[in-house]
Amino acid sequence: MGLLEIDEVSVQFGGLLAVDDASISVPEGCVTGLIGPNGAGKTTLFNVITGLQAPSGGRVRLDGADITRRRPYRRARLGIARTFQRLEAFGSLTARENVLVALEMRRRWAKSRYDSGKIAAELLERVGAAQVADKRVDSLPTGSARLVELARALATDPKVLLLDEPSSGLDEQETDALGVLLHELTADGLAVLLVEHDMPLVMEACTHISVLDFGRIIAEGTPAEIQADPSVQRAYLGTAKSAS
Amino acid sequence: MSQRWSNLLVWAGTIAFIVLVSKAAWAGNPVNGTSLTNLVVLALPVAGIIAMSATGLVVVYTTTGVFNFAQGAIGMFLAYVDWELTVAHGLPQAVALPLVVLVIAPLLGIGLDRAIMRHLQGKQLVVQLMVTVGLLFAFVGLANMIWNQNNAHSMPQLFAGKGFHIGDVLLTWHRFITIMVAVALAIGLRILLVRTRIGIAMRAVVDNRDLAALEGARSSVLSSFAWALGCSVAALAGILIAPETADMSTTTLTFLILTAFAAAVVGRLRSLPLTYLGAIILALATQWMASFLRFSDRWTNVPDALPTIMLFIVLLLLPRAEVQFARIGQIRRVERVSSVRDTAIGLAAFVAFMAILTLFLSSSDPTNTNRLALGMCTALLALSLVPLTGWAGQVSLAPLAFAGIGAVAYTRLGGAHGSVWAVFLAALVTIPVGALFAFPAMRLQGLYLALATLAFAAMVEEVFYTQPFAVGPGERPVARLHLLGIDFSSPKSFLILVTVVFGLCGVGVVALRRSPFGRRLVALRDSEAASVTVGVNILETKLAVFALSAGIAGFAGAFYAMSFGTLNNAQGFQMIAGLPVVLALVIGGVGFVAGALFAGVFGFVTLFVQDNWHISLWIALFYLAPGLAVLGIIQNPSGAVVPIGEGFARLLPWRKDAKQEYEEMTAAAAEPEVGELGLERPFAESDVLLVDRELGISNDVPRPVAAARSS
Repeated sequence: MGLLEIDEVSVQFGGLLAVDDASISVPEGCVTGLIGPNGAGKTTLFNVITGLQAPSGGRVRLDGADITRRRPYRRARLGIARTFQRLEAFGSLTARENVLVALEMRRRWAKSRYDSGKIAAELLERVGAAQVADKRVDSLPTGSARLVELARALATDPKVLLLDEPSSGLDEQETDALGVLLHELTADGLAVLLVEHDMPLVMEACTHISVLDFGRIIAEGTPAEIQADPSVQRAYLGTAKSAS
Repeated sequence: MSQRWSNLLVWAGTIAFIVLVSKAAWAGNPVNGTSLTNLVVLALPVAGIIAMSATGLVVVYTTTGVFNFAQGAIGMFLAYVDWELTVAHGLPQAVALPLVVLVIAPLLGIGLDRAIMRHLQGKQLVVQLMVTVGLLFAFVGLANMIWNQNNAHSMPQLFAGKGFHIGDVLLTWHRFITIMVAVALAIGLRILLVRTRIGIAMRAVVDNRDLAALEGARSSVLSSFAWALGCSVAALAGILIAPETADMSTTTLTFLILTAFAAAVVGRLRSLPLTYLGAIILALATQWMASFLRFSDRWTNVPDALPTIMLFIVLLLLPRAEVQFARIGQIRRVERVSSVRDTAIGLAAFVAFMAILTLFLSSSDPTNTNRLALGMCTALLALSLVPLTGWAGQVSLAPLAFAGIGAVAYTRLGGAHGSVWAVFLAALVTIPVGALFAFPAMRLQGLYLALATLAFAAMVEEVFYTQPFAVGPGERPVARLHLLGIDFSSPKSFLILVTVVFGLCGVGVVALRRSPFGRRLVALRDSEAASVTVGVNILETKLAVFALSAGIAGFAGAFYAMSFGTLNNAQGFQMIAGLPVVLALVIGGVGFVAGALFAGVFGFVTLFVQDNWHISLWIALFYLAPGLAVLGIIQNPSGAVVPIGEGFARLLPWRKDAKQEYEEMTAAAAEPEVGELGLERPFAESDVLLVDRELGISNDVPRPVAAARSS
């Protein structure tokens, strides 16, 4: 059983079923991929996991405990962190302050005191945003702001990390660095759920992939299985190829 | 608390309120067919006026996103234009009314849109609101300047007050026409919104502004049209209500708009049928109170508070707001957070400056010293909004109400003999009241919260001060502080005291901004969604910041009371008097301690001008000045203290970097003019970057424009 279990979750917006009975298991120590065409419901599912969106059915479990009805900030404190597809950085704070906000929340329930300034610097260094530490985030390029969001998510000391298209806005070099970072994080025992359009990154980083289409999970498996799955090619890879 | 339970609670409270009030204030008039018919006949024309005003608000708000506090002032101004044409120049109303409503009003609306309103898109809510408040004062000032208020003005009713009887009541043709105009307006708007191209575009904008723009709805045409329509409707309401008022008082006509707020909120600022329903309910309730209930003594003002009580109730019934996604860079601010040390040095210098200034102030005539002290009280009050509105982004229009509560607490808890403890008790009493506001603030976002605070301020004004346990009838003496054996009752020592208190609080507030709590406030403002996902408890944070703000305001209130010397129930703390404080802070800079100081100086200057120039032109300027400052806000939405501070810093030898820092700061906050992209001008390189950024797809390598266009 995974550290994070999404169990038959459905989300209904009026007449539209944005997520339909989706189940995903996210085990610790590896990257689980979640792919699918635009509008498939990936971000909605992230919102359900983090509590920003109440599901109309189904359960979310962390470490076996049902957290479906927990308030979003409680889930964060239980160890769920995320980044956003459309940037949600604290624009008028500096990159360092963005990370500090998250660190200071953690400090309030951590027992031992520690040097948040030092940890913030280390985290920014780790994601590759050290050189913009003292810049206001709304003046940063999209790619750097995404890295700041990643550092901020890591600052909460999460058990589960949800990444919503982390590579968009990054150049090739930065994307490679992201891949390396993902490996490091999972080696530390983190559970990562990755939504991503960059297929080489997904195929390289993930051990297990779920494919979402029109709110339904249409396939799951290893990267090789997913690549070979005809229904996936129809729904996603095929259309992507013809569009590009 | 779940939505259902809280709604149930509000409904139960409302019904209990109605029953209790009706029982307690029952006048004993018979309730029968005749009296109820009379009630309806009297209420309907009022409903018509409220509905028209509210419609104007709704049309402008839905199309442009600006909630227009000046709607009533515009109606007042145009009613005076109509007066000028008919009464002063003898034009028949049949010519003047269409001329004003169909020609002058739309032109005014288009002018306002082009000159001011269009530049408000994407600005902070408090800035948008205060620009329309400034406009309100400007129109009042302009009207007072043109039409001397020392002379009586009155406008005859249409058809000279003739009419017909329904039951016992004479329904004048004027009132009948008012009802018919309101009905015609409803039908006309219905046709406009459903059948015409521009109306459909307006509805599309309501649903999704960005999407409508992408589909080719020309936002500039739409917003001009909405403002033109809004002004026409305002003119109609103004001209029809003016004869019903005794003397066409500019302020009465202007603030009648407050009654329309409740109706507009019933329609959630978008549904016109519900807005009309709200207007009818409000008019019936008002007339019910006038016909069947009697209020006296401490409850005398309850009928005046009815529209705001209803506004408050309706706001509490609104569905809970979703967690807000902000998306980076939607609103750009210039914010410079000084170090605690720099602030301390700056404020110490200011205290020293004030101390030297007192040497030059007259000892025999303390008028100016007292004005300066009052100005410093205003600065302290404005400071209460810096963390709340400036950093946490929660717009409160009720700082003066909290100050009033603080003033009362000080006076009743030891202030009569100048006890130091009473000052702190004043803050202690207001803190829980302020903290209570965190609960509506959890449900209400932005404008709705601002309106709730406004309703609260009105309710405090109408029903709190008159209570015997608060102020009651008559005056209560207030003594100035004794502290460490020093008596601060002399005007000069009191001025120094208030200045020092402001200085200490200012340093404290900056220290707070530099603390984890301050960062958390800004984080919450910038993105609520991201805040909760890093573990920020919104309720706890809002509780803290509302409590803090109310505490500072209550503290300021104690000094206001000392400054006034006596407290009586109508004095100094009216809801309307609070708006200029917020306005002055926004002009100065809502995110800066220096902005609060600016508000204080602004308060002093207006007091000085008001008292010293008894020429109508200057009194008009007292209103016009904030109105003109509106234009300054548009130029510099982050506040006047930004360029002032830069100019000042350049004079300091150790701040050689000031100019460069300022340029970097303003460049970072500069907003790209999107305008009618692709329609009025071609895509530029910066636009491509902007679009990429909006869509989150940028690689941040500026692509050649030609390539972007050809693809």
